[in-house]
Order: sequence, then structure tokens, then C-alpha cells
Amino acid sequence: MPLSKPIRQFVSQTETLLDTEISLLRNPEADPNGMLVDVYTYDIEKNMIIFPAHYLGLLKDFIIARHCVHLLIKGAAAKKSRYLVCSFTEDSMYRGIHQIYIDALKDEAKKEKKLPVHKLIQMLNILYTNFNDDINELPWNPITNASVYHRMPQIRKTQLYYLMKEGKMDMDEMMEYEDVIPRRYFVLNKSMFYARDQYLAKTLPADQLMPVVNIPQMKKFNHLEVKEMLTTRWTHTSWYQSKIFGDTMLEIMEKYLQKIDWNAEPGLDYFHDIYRLGVQMTNHFISYMSMKDWFVWEPPKHLREAQARKGEYENKALKKIFGDLFEESPAGSPGGKL
Amino acid sequence: MTTNEVIGLLRKGRAYASRTKYKEAITYYEKVLALDPDNPEAWYLRAVVFIETGRNTEALADCEQALRLNQNYAAAWSKKGHALYNLERYNDALFACTRALALNGNDAAAWYIKGVCLDELGRNDEAQEAFGKSLELEIILDMEAEKKKAGT
Repeated sequence: MPLSKPIRQFVSQTETLLDTEISLLRNPEADPNGMLVDVYTYDIEKNMIIFPAHYLGLLKDFIIARHCVHLLIKGAAAKKSRYLVCSFTEDSMYRGIHQIYIDALKDEAKKEKKLPVHKLIQMLNILYTNFNDDINELPWNPITNASVYHRMPQIRKTQLYYLMKEGKMDMDEMMEYEDVIPRRYFVLNKSMFYARDQYLAKTLPADQLMPVVNIPQMKKFNHLEVKEMLTTRWTHTSWYQSKIFGDTMLEIMEKYLQKIDWNAEPGLDYFHDIYRLGVQMTNHFISYMSMKDWFVWEPPKHLREAQARKGEYENKALKKIFGDLFEESPAGSPGGKL
Repeated sequence: MTTNEVIGLLRKGRAYASRTKYKEAITYYEKVLALDPDNPEAWYLRAVVFIETGRNTEALADCEQALRLNQNYAAAWSKKGHALYNLERYNDALFACTRALALNGNDAAAWYIKGVCLDELGRNDEAQEAFGKSLELEIILDMEAEKKKAGT
């Protein structure tokens, strides 16, 4: 499918600025958020933006625009200094899993129905990985969204629909582990998304993001402001307690992002500054969530290698925590037992 | 040649095309065309594959053949619009999309291509209107896709 004019220009501008090529691929199995497979993260020669096959028009354009902004940030970091991500080592993973275990024990002590040990072990691994994924993704979400909003007014209605959809997906994430995860982590995870929604509600003025009244999902929000749309959900859900932590996270987000002039001339220096602010904001989040020694800033290759050795690291961490009680799974794969 | 045989071949071609196995898809569509050259669907489906592989002139020719056989074939008008847009014939593409939408107003892709053509022709207000219509339909499609995914 063709691209609308502003998006086509933006893709071409991104390619010129980074002196690179971007392939756009449709895939029926693609994640609803689309996917950026880029030369700064993977050992490949060409960047790819993959989007779901049924995104035909502006939904596809929006996904492409957002990934282009992210690509510019990564590319500027790689060209101007170093592009780093939150990775983990054997030791940092042990510290993270150990901390989650201690907190889980505190929670378990208050529970009538105790969690089976194999589920507890599974939860420790899942939760650590989940926070690693989220801390690598979430801080860049409000940045890319705000940038698209200011630079491409033509796709604001699409953006509104997408934010509603994405916010809902993020709220639903981890719901199946609600009774398993220590409360503190559940709330912290939701708070990050709460802060993201609140920031976007404040940053993206309502007047140009009014719902498209003919769209069934938007009808119930007719005449409401975006802020109300994004906040209503949080106040009417059981995750209202996320608000306390979420408000602080929102303050952190604003502290860094208010320094960005969204309409400034988009050059490599500009995107490099945004990258640095994103890293500072991520560090502040990590520190606020008391996860300072859980992750290490390293090049993407380090993270890929760590992910490949995740099972081995998990087994070693669990062996350290449970001693001889823990029986390692074969070949260092995850899923050992007590 | 039986109708069932043709339906089976078209189905196989579509299955290959959906997995981006375009060469195989074309083989099946051409088997149909050898059996039944007056089958507009086979011409149309081959045009879809031609567009996916950047063969816009051939896609246009196939769409025109499909439309000679059935001038009310909405999808073929829409695909013709797409091919013409890719060939930078914006006025002709706009005409084809308008015909497609007169036959099927719920074609999100035709609204979108109409929008990009209008944008190219500097008719911005009309373009925004077409994009708005395309977005509404696309969102409905997306919500249906999500529902289907949740149900599986």
C-alpha cells in the first residue's frame, strides 16, 4: 500500500539523516504495535519496520512514523556516542530475582492460600524478564508519541485510537498473574503505564484529538477530552492504587521530557539529546523502583547474549537462593524445581 | 474444467499469496486462466500479486481485463486505482477509486488511496475527508481482527 505524503517524507528524511535504508514489511503475524528491527540493535544490513497485514492506511502510517522516531533516536545515539540498552548479567539477575523472592515471601506470609513453589519460581523469572523488557521500551513510548503528535498533525485521530488501544493492552498485561505477583511489583508495573497515559493525556491537547464519532469504540467517549478518556479508565479499575506511584512517575517523566522542544529542527544532535534524556529518565525510574542494581547499560549485543544465556543465569540465581534444595533443569534451560 | 476445480485452484493461489509465496500463487492463478480465461477473479488476484511484487503495469493490465469481464467488480476498480497511483497517474487513480467506492463504500483501501491521490493533487480538504473515512473503516476492521484473535 502507498504511504501518505507526510509519512513518506518522514521515512525519506530518516533514511537521509541516518544514511541508511528502511524496508516496510506487512506480516499477518506481526504484533499490533508493529516491530522495528534495526541495524543499531541487530547484526543486519537494512532496517525493517514490520506491521500487521490488516493495517492498510493510516494505522500503518502511524506505526511507521512512531518506529521512525525511535530509529532516529537509536541511530543518533549510535552515531554521536554509543547506543546502549538495559541489559543484565548473571550477578544483576541474581540481585533482581533475590529481591523479588524476598518481597514475594513477605506477601506470601499474609496469604491464606500459599503459592506452590514451582509457580513461585516461574514468577521470579517471568517478573524479572518483564521488568527488563518494560524498562527498555516504556520510556521511549511517550517520547515517540509526543514527537509524532507534534510533527505529524495529519495522523492525530489515528494516534488517538491507537493510544486507547495500546493503553488497554498494557492495562491487561500481567492480569493472569495478579494473584501470583507481589503487590509491589504489580503496582509498579502498572504505574509506569499509568504515568505514560497521564503524560500523553496532558501533552496531546484534546482539541485536535477529538474522537471520530462514527467509530463505535469512540462513541462512549464523545465530547470527552483525551485527558478524561485516558484517566477515566484508571480511576474505574482495580488498579487505582497505581495512581500514588504513578503520579510520582509522571513527575519524573515530566521533569525530563519538558526539556524537549518537540518542534525543533530534527537533526542528529537533536535526537541524540532526546536519547540522553530518555536514558536519564530510565535511570530515574529504575532508581525510584529500587532496581538500581538489577540491570546494566550495555550495547544491544550484550543484551542479546544475555537473553541467550537467560536459562543458565536463572538456574544459577535460583541455586544461590535455594541452595541444594533447587534441582536444576537439564542443559541450563529454565524451569528447574525444588 | 469444473467450477470446483477452479475454486480449489484459486483458494490454493490465495493461500500462497497470503504467505507471500507469490511465484507459487501466480502459477495457480495462471492454471485457472488457462482453464477459464473469462474468470475475472483470477485476473484480479494475479493483479494483486503483481502489485505486491512491484509489477504495476502488468497489474493494471490484469485489472483492466477483469473489468472488461465484469465492469461492476469493485475490488478490481480499487486495485486498478492502486496500480495507477503507483504509476503516478493520480487523476486516473482517483477516478478508479471513486468508481470502486460507488460500488462498495466500505473499502478502506480505496478510501485511503483516494486520500493519497487527492493529497498529491493538492486537494487537501478532500484528502482529509477520504482519510477520515478510511480510518473509520480501518478501525472497525482492526476491532474485528482483535475480537477474532481473542476468540481463538
